[in-house]
Amino acid sequence: MKKRLYLELENCIGCRSCLAACTQCGGHEERNRNYVYDVNPLVNRQTMPLMCLHCVNPACARSCPAQAIQIHETGAVLSALVEKCIGCQNCTIACPYGIPKFDTEQNLMYKCDLCIDRTKDGIPPMCASVCPSNTLQWLTDEEIEAKQKQFNLDNGKWVTSMPYLEGETNVRVNLPGILQGVTKLF
Amino acid sequence: MQRDKFFKEIENVRHPNETLVKTHCSYCGMQCGMNLRVNTKTNKIIGVEPRYDWPVTVGKMCPKGVTAYQQTNHDDRILKPLIRDDASLKGTKEGFREATWDEAYSLIAKKFGELQNKYGKDTLSVFSGVSMTNEKCYLTGKFARVAMQTRYIDYNGRFCMSSAAGGFLRSFGVDRGSTLPWTDLHETDCLFIAGSNTAECHPTSMFRVWAVQERGGYLIVADPRETPIARRADVHLDLRPGTDLALANGILNLLIQNGYADAEFVTNHTNGFEETKELVKEFTPEYTSEITGVAPEKIIRAAEIYGKAPNAVVMFARGIEQQHKGVDNVSAYTNMALVTGKIGRPKSGVATFTGQGNGQGGREHGQKSDLLPGYRKITNPKHVEEVCQVWGITPEEMPQPGVSAYEMFELMEQKTIRAMYLLCSNPAVSAPNLNFVRKAMKGLDFMVCADFYLSESAEFADVILPTVTWSEDEGTVTNLEGRIIKINKAQEPLGESKPDWQIQAELAEYLGRGKYFSHLKTARDVADEFRLASKGGYADYYGATWDKIDKQDGVFWPCKDEEDKGTPHMFLDKKFYHPDGKAKICALPYRPPAEEPDEDYPLRLTTGRVVYHYLSGNQTRRIQFLRDMCPEPYVEVHPETAAKYNIEHEEFVRLFTRRGEAEYKVKITEAIRKDTVFVPYHFGHDKSINLLTIAALDPMSRMPEFKACAAQIEKLELKKVQ
Repeated sequence: MKKRLYLELENCIGCRSCLAACTQCGGHEERNRNYVYDVNPLVNRQTMPLMCLHCVNPACARSCPAQAIQIHETGAVLSALVEKCIGCQNCTIACPYGIPKFDTEQNLMYKCDLCIDRTKDGIPPMCASVCPSNTLQWLTDEEIEAKQKQFNLDNGKWVTSMPYLEGETNVRVNLPGILQGVTKLF
Repeated sequence: MQRDKFFKEIENVRHPNETLVKTHCSYCGMQCGMNLRVNTKTNKIIGVEPRYDWPVTVGKMCPKGVTAYQQTNHDDRILKPLIRDDASLKGTKEGFREATWDEAYSLIAKKFGELQNKYGKDTLSVFSGVSMTNEKCYLTGKFARVAMQTRYIDYNGRFCMSSAAGGFLRSFGVDRGSTLPWTDLHETDCLFIAGSNTAECHPTSMFRVWAVQERGGYLIVADPRETPIARRADVHLDLRPGTDLALANGILNLLIQNGYADAEFVTNHTNGFEETKELVKEFTPEYTSEITGVAPEKIIRAAEIYGKAPNAVVMFARGIEQQHKGVDNVSAYTNMALVTGKIGRPKSGVATFTGQGNGQGGREHGQKSDLLPGYRKITNPKHVEEVCQVWGITPEEMPQPGVSAYEMFELMEQKTIRAMYLLCSNPAVSAPNLNFVRKAMKGLDFMVCADFYLSESAEFADVILPTVTWSEDEGTVTNLEGRIIKINKAQEPLGESKPDWQIQAELAEYLGRGKYFSHLKTARDVADEFRLASKGGYADYYGATWDKIDKQDGVFWPCKDEEDKGTPHMFLDKKFYHPDGKAKICALPYRPPAEEPDEDYPLRLTTGRVVYHYLSGNQTRRIQFLRDMCPEPYVEVHPETAAKYNIEHEEFVRLFTRRGEAEYKVKITEAIRKDTVFVPYHFGHDKSINLLTIAALDPMSRMPEFKACAAQIEKLELKKVQ
């Protein structure tokens, strides 16, 4: 059954375990490929991960003059192919989320490939495997739909539904506010 | 067993030429399950893979856990015994030379012998720790009393779990850190969490905590800081450091006044209710607010939620325990569960977040100055008799009780103790009032340190013995639930390093006490003797065989025999461990912190952890990822307080108390009380916040008051450019 990365941003505790775990994926050369930000560090301890959303029509791939960024059949937008990447860094500018990273020594772009050597076999990516707060989850579409029913936001919208920030994404995101619609037990 | 909604069947990734060794993390009491990736050609640990089938943590790990494997083959490992001949270099890293094990053992035996001949048996001491297996903890207790023949043994649990132990013993008559398994937590209706920065110190509890709120349940957090868990709490009780006892009494008073007491439970299963009811009457919301600084309406709301909740769990950690009334704080928060009867059934109870990996098991089996295996008392002749039979000594040979961890340093300063065998601990960073402690260590005639890295404490040693990391030995630990689990060996010891049990068995031979240890050739040999030594004690591990642990995903103690499956939930029969079977509701008068702010020291200093480091940081500060994330300590200051001192974000200040001082970079945040400053305690040398902390000890647990003392800040004009 197809599963997706699903983000519940309100859960993030800023531990950056996802970044540490990213280095542990077999294909990642021990370099992490995502980000965790302090949202308002002088005020509170809210943090949020910024992960590649694996766009259905990814700007990074569209901008690549060398077709170095391939899209896997699972929908994962892969890291640049070493033999094709010309190091132009178009992708780092094109991505609306600022995801692709650039290795100046190797003259090579690298980015989240959704742990393709795991997810191609249905095994969760490292980040979602370890995330202690369930900010990052690996769910079926049915499970995501159940989440959508569970959380009714004040504004009547559930943020992972349309409109998308840029375009349709394979990763689904729930912005802060998941608890707004929860009915208290007593 | 205990597979819940978070459990999913997931295959692990297996890379070519790799094998996975299932085990647990080396760090905190969560003991997250993990698989170590071992290269089958080099037989070396090369990475980590989630352990999805561990029911408590289902593959989840914090950044410490993910990178824990990097300790094993780290460049900083000590690979051979080290001897330092020039004592004038004590307190530095300098002057060590490599030696053979035989030379090191011979020197230790010679020095120990000379000192004992001159000053008596008790001139030696053992300072231990609980970040190691039950087998090692058990043998260390035996090693001190049988091989070194000294009364002075104690351990770093005095800086960690001793107040929880004292409080639970008084309230329940038994000290098991959690009365229920962690797999219950997400199903409760209210979590009341006091003095626990859970998201940073026990991160893999968080998915269960958030699940309570997702179901419509409540989260109440008592903490002077708006920690990541407090940020999302339904009620954040933002109390002054060191005032927990007033808060707990205030909430208990409201629970009683508003009819939430369970009269049937109180009458049949507890003592002390009437007396406690009288005592807490004084703690009205207004009076409680005056002491704690928490708004009365928050106190009222918290009591109402906890009172109404069908099921609730009271949880706490070092925030309430590292006070000079830590034991009282534990019993006072435990009162909430006893008065309302929210204990002794699934999804309700009381738990402490155990700090160290084996903080639970390590305190039960004889490393404490007054305890013997199985939680037996060294002052109880029957208990001594039982243990002597296993050890093969006579009761007359059993040393007397010693003193607590911090008090050992006082005896070193007074020259009552002249030598120390230190293992599994780094008191030169983790003890309070460090100027005094470091001087006491420097003044020792002879000191041995067994460690796998050259810690700040090892800098005071004459001999360093290289030990193994957790991944190069096997044995059991007891996690924060009271679940006995198995640590497995993934790699052969690096260099000439050896596990502590082997070192102690071999050193016993040189000390002329080999006959009591020579049968212990493997970790399993130690395990078998240890299970027998605990048999009949109330922390009975006899039935917790390694096979059963493997089959059942761990065994909760007590587990008395081979048929016994263990005890996940405590007190289901409403029988507590006091002789009359009743729990004790405790009437506890409020006492302020030992040192209150005044004109010269107007701020309250509190200390704690960050998510990237563990205890003294001796391990985690060496891991690149963790060091990158948090390379140095800082002092958290509220912006209004900072404005008063005219200091800005990232400027440097001198922070000082009556005991010491240190310089820190300022981190401005609104997520802290205006009257409080916070510094993480993981750092060594002149960056240790424990240079400033106070050694006011709890009268029962001998826990120092790390969490509250009076401090002052001075702006450093010149250092901003750094």
